[in-house]
Amino acid sequence: MGGVDVGEGGGKKRSTNSDINMIPFIDLLFVTIAFLLITAVWTTNSRINADAQVPGPPDPNKELTPQTPEKVLNLHIGDSEFSLVWKQGATVVSEIKVPKNPQETGGDSKIVRYPDLAKKLEEEWKTQGGHRDPTDRKLDQCILFSDNRTPFKEIVAVLDALYSPKRDMKFADGTSKKLPVFNMTFSVR
Amino acid sequence: MDRFQRKHHDPHAHVIHAPHKRLMSKVPLRFVWNKVSGHGPKSPNAALNLVSFIDFLMVTVIFLLMSFSASGEMTVDKNVKLPKAENVEDMIDAPMIAVNGNQILVDGTLAGSTRAIEELGRLQKIDELFALLKNKRELWKQLQPNKPFPGVCILQVDQQVPALVVKSVFQTAAFAGYPNVSFMVGKIPSTN
Repeated sequence: MGGVDVGEGGGKKRSTNSDINMIPFIDLLFVTIAFLLITAVWTTNSRINADAQVPGPPDPNKELTPQTPEKVLNLHIGDSEFSLVWKQGATVVSEIKVPKNPQETGGDSKIVRYPDLAKKLEEEWKTQGGHRDPTDRKLDQCILFSDNRTPFKEIVAVLDALYSPKRDMKFADGTSKKLPVFNMTFSVR
Repeated sequence: MDRFQRKHHDPHAHVIHAPHKRLMSKVPLRFVWNKVSGHGPKSPNAALNLVSFIDFLMVTVIFLLMSFSASGEMTVDKNVKLPKAENVEDMIDAPMIAVNGNQILVDGTLAGSTRAIEELGRLQKIDELFALLKNKRELWKQLQPNKPFPGVCILQVDQQVPALVVKSVFQTAAFAGYPNVSFMVGKIPSTN
């Protein structure tokens, strides 16, 4: 065992059992604990991405070629149901309704979640999604339509469900990461 | 006390003997005999067992090191109660727009009123917010002229704020050159 050596007054022979002085070691541990406690972040915040879909300035050197519009998911938040509409330009490709089945968890601050919507969104992406290859860096677009009075808590619950389906995406450095399949923007009207 | 009287020197004293019933009873020193028989005085130097104490300190240090975050703390407006989500990304350093039930703040500076937007009842460009964000963008470009502007901002929105306000702030940020908007949320553990 390490102990605290108080020293012996002028011993003739050195003891065979030498004690390690533990005081500096314990001091170091205390200082480390104090530093870590002071700098500790006890609440972890994260972020949910959105994109305002603002087009960049046109490149005058590039010739504009007409492109077929991509399929876009329009997600409507209704009073009692969600409506998932895949549109290509103005053409409606498919439309399904998902009943609103909120699951509330937590104590005082209730967390609203929509697991049914998340499941349905994954199924929809598997059948209609346009960007599935791991080397494809683009994401499928989703436009969120909500009533102006909808509380932000509910919007985040829908966004959480929207970002639940994930796919592998390969980057230029060869690494691969699981990322949400959709990118969201608000419908402004 | 005869026990401690010096005996005649025996040349074979070092020879190994059969063990006696008590160890060291043949040592002709009083303090050793007192110790062996259990009647000696308590040593003034009491040894403190430090093993369990150091173990505890080590466990505390390891726990704190594992939960240590070098990214720093993001300040959240005290009037904002953030919603929680599971499918989230790590925070990044970007201008922070706090939206609570009464006001809109950009990095602590007042940039609009939530009530005014709600009373108007339609989407609008928030002029003060637009001006503040535009200034920030221009300053960033002056400081880093060779880098492309990332256009990222983070919205700290209270969970009860209506969608109308969120959309107005979102749209204003996009107009001011910040199209990549992130919403700050509390993280809930993944169920998968």
